[in-house]
Amino acid sequence: MRIIDLLSQNAVCLGASASGREEALDRLIALQGKAGNLSDAARYRADLLAREELGSTAIGNGIAVPHAKSGAVLRPGLAAMTVPGGIDFGAPDKAPSDLFFMIAAPEGAGDSHLEILSRLMVMLMDEPFCERLRRARSPKEFLTLIDAQEREKYPEQAPEKAKGSDGRLVLAVTACPTGIAHTYMAAEALEKKGRELGVTVRAETQGSGGAKNVLTRDEIAACAGVIIAADKEVALDRFDGKPLLKVPVSAGINQPEELIQKILAGQAPVYRRTGGFPQQDGVHESAGRAVYKQLMNGVSHMLPFVIGGGILIALAFLFDAGALNEENLSNFGTITPLAAFLKNIGGAAFGFMLPILAGYIAMAVADRPGLAAGFVGGALAVSGATFSHPAGTDVSAGFLGALIAGFAAGYFVLGLRRFCDRVLPAALEGIKPVLIYPLVGILVIGVVMCAVNPFVGMLNAAIFDALGAMGTASRVLLGCVLAGMMAVDMGGPFNKAAYVFGTATLTAAAGPSEVMAAVMIGGMVPPLAIALAASFFPDRFTPEERKSGPVNYVMGLCFITEGAIPFAASDPLRVLPACIAGSAVAGGISMAMGCALPAPHGGIFVLPVMTGVLWYLIALAAGSVIGMMLLALLKNKRPAGTTPARGE
Amino acid sequence: MVSKTLAVINKMGFHMRPASLFVGAMAKYPDTDIRILHNGREIDGKSIMNLMAACIKYGAEIEIRCSGNQEQAMLAEAVSLVENKLGDSD
Repeated sequence: MRIIDLLSQNAVCLGASASGREEALDRLIALQGKAGNLSDAARYRADLLAREELGSTAIGNGIAVPHAKSGAVLRPGLAAMTVPGGIDFGAPDKAPSDLFFMIAAPEGAGDSHLEILSRLMVMLMDEPFCERLRRARSPKEFLTLIDAQEREKYPEQAPEKAKGSDGRLVLAVTACPTGIAHTYMAAEALEKKGRELGVTVRAETQGSGGAKNVLTRDEIAACAGVIIAADKEVALDRFDGKPLLKVPVSAGINQPEELIQKILAGQAPVYRRTGGFPQQDGVHESAGRAVYKQLMNGVSHMLPFVIGGGILIALAFLFDAGALNEENLSNFGTITPLAAFLKNIGGAAFGFMLPILAGYIAMAVADRPGLAAGFVGGALAVSGATFSHPAGTDVSAGFLGALIAGFAAGYFVLGLRRFCDRVLPAALEGIKPVLIYPLVGILVIGVVMCAVNPFVGMLNAAIFDALGAMGTASRVLLGCVLAGMMAVDMGGPFNKAAYVFGTATLTAAAGPSEVMAAVMIGGMVPPLAIALAASFFPDRFTPEERKSGPVNYVMGLCFITEGAIPFAASDPLRVLPACIAGSAVAGGISMAMGCALPAPHGGIFVLPVMTGVLWYLIALAAGSVIGMMLLALLKNKRPAGTTPARGE
Repeated sequence: MVSKTLAVINKMGFHMRPASLFVGAMAKYPDTDIRILHNGREIDGKSIMNLMAACIKYGAEIEIRCSGNQEQAMLAEAVSLVENKLGDSD
């Protein structure tokens, strides 16, 4: 029995304060309870106190090992605590005790109790080691120290990395739809049976609290085979080339021996991955790369909504083009019933875009518990909800707001998970994913977004006022600024301010407006620039991006700026400047040449009713080409073979 | 130096309470050294940690060696403690 197996992270408390012996004992008992070692804390406490009456369990050198064999103990376990300054625990050397290990032993534990004590002493006799324990900054560091010490003192029993007790290693992944009980029961049954058979079984649990005990690449490389005991989809890519059994989670619980023997006997079929990108190791990745993968998880899930919705809206404009006349310009896209149908369906798809982006970013950060908070955060970014207008304002925080929502939700829920793991007793494991994570996660992201959104609203109002003041300044400059703003956030406060400003001039002019023309061209350039770049400089994009590139020709020509969002979201610092510059050039030319537009949207379909069509097309081409050149310049070439794997 | 070999007869062996009792009694002989041989290892009989670390179980054969001014008295008390189950009831 190894010490490290008896001590869990949530049973370690560092830097505790205690006024005296009983308070110290109570804190340690609480840790034992949290680790799930006790059936009756009060009874265990009584047994401990009775033991202390027989003589102090402080042994000198600042160390105390309170312990009791008790019928109130479910399973043998340890709790550890450091109390800076120490307390009087009746030590033989009269010194205060500041390093505590509490042993819980079930009744009739026999020699195992003695062995635990002995091991602990062998390790603690090393005073520099005790000093390191006292200075540990986190329970994790504390456990790492113990593990290292135990491996040093008991090298023959240290589990060799990624090898079974007899050299054989069987891996398992367990998962069930609710992810509360069966996932863990199957993992436990398999690991327990493995011990009986003298085989190391390592089980990864994909419960609703997120994946735990995640299998490492080394383990997968070394294992004899993998048991997937799951009633829901489990990603198998990383097990390529390994013997693999796929069974229901109940088989993991009821027939662990059969499954393990099948793997050992080589009766499991070898799994072959079909298609997809090569899986990359996620263990040693940099923070930047982790953020990129999280971002891409959001972007890749969002992409189908952008493409499907965008093409439907483009079709709506196409079918409406024939019915377009002077009177119905402002309804373009919904004039005929077919167009109205398509545009609304496409619009519904677009409505999901930002929540999906935020939701899947949060999920990549915090695993399944992050999803709900991320979705809601994304939806609140879209609605622009504030504390004073919780139902939403007319200023969306756009995709930049959704990025904030996704990461904020993800990292908050991740922190919440860690906090709960440390603070809540194991008995509450079940209510974390069904109550605590969703409730606290969604509430907090709601507060965060309602706090962020007013600034977005203020920004929007300030920009709008600034545009009004600019109206009398240089027309060309105004064109540049407006068109550039359309590309800044593609639906956020900048874009919105520019667009509303454009439609306002439309109403004021009661006819073709030069400002509206500049605004629209600013919204058409980004997708076109990206489509051109994906066609002529494919090495700047991932294979997935290359495939969705051509759709952006259609979106750009139809003034559906959203087509550029997946590209901008995945690499905003390079894509946005390129798009803004391209749009600004196009807007400036359009304004300088006096192009004017009588409709609020429509892309190339409204060209027939425009003034200065030829120059408008030249401006559009110039802006798009400049955007493309800048994209090629700013984005790094991707060397062949280093395609980043997508999050899922 | 005097010594005696005997078996540990309390069921729980040298767990913490017997170890404290033993070490407490041996502290009365400041000028005399006590070593316990168990499983080929030599243990300082005045250190609780060393005694517990040795993991001396029920039935184990140990040799107690005392050397110094009061070696006879010390050995006699040590042997008597072990023979009296180190204060355990069984």
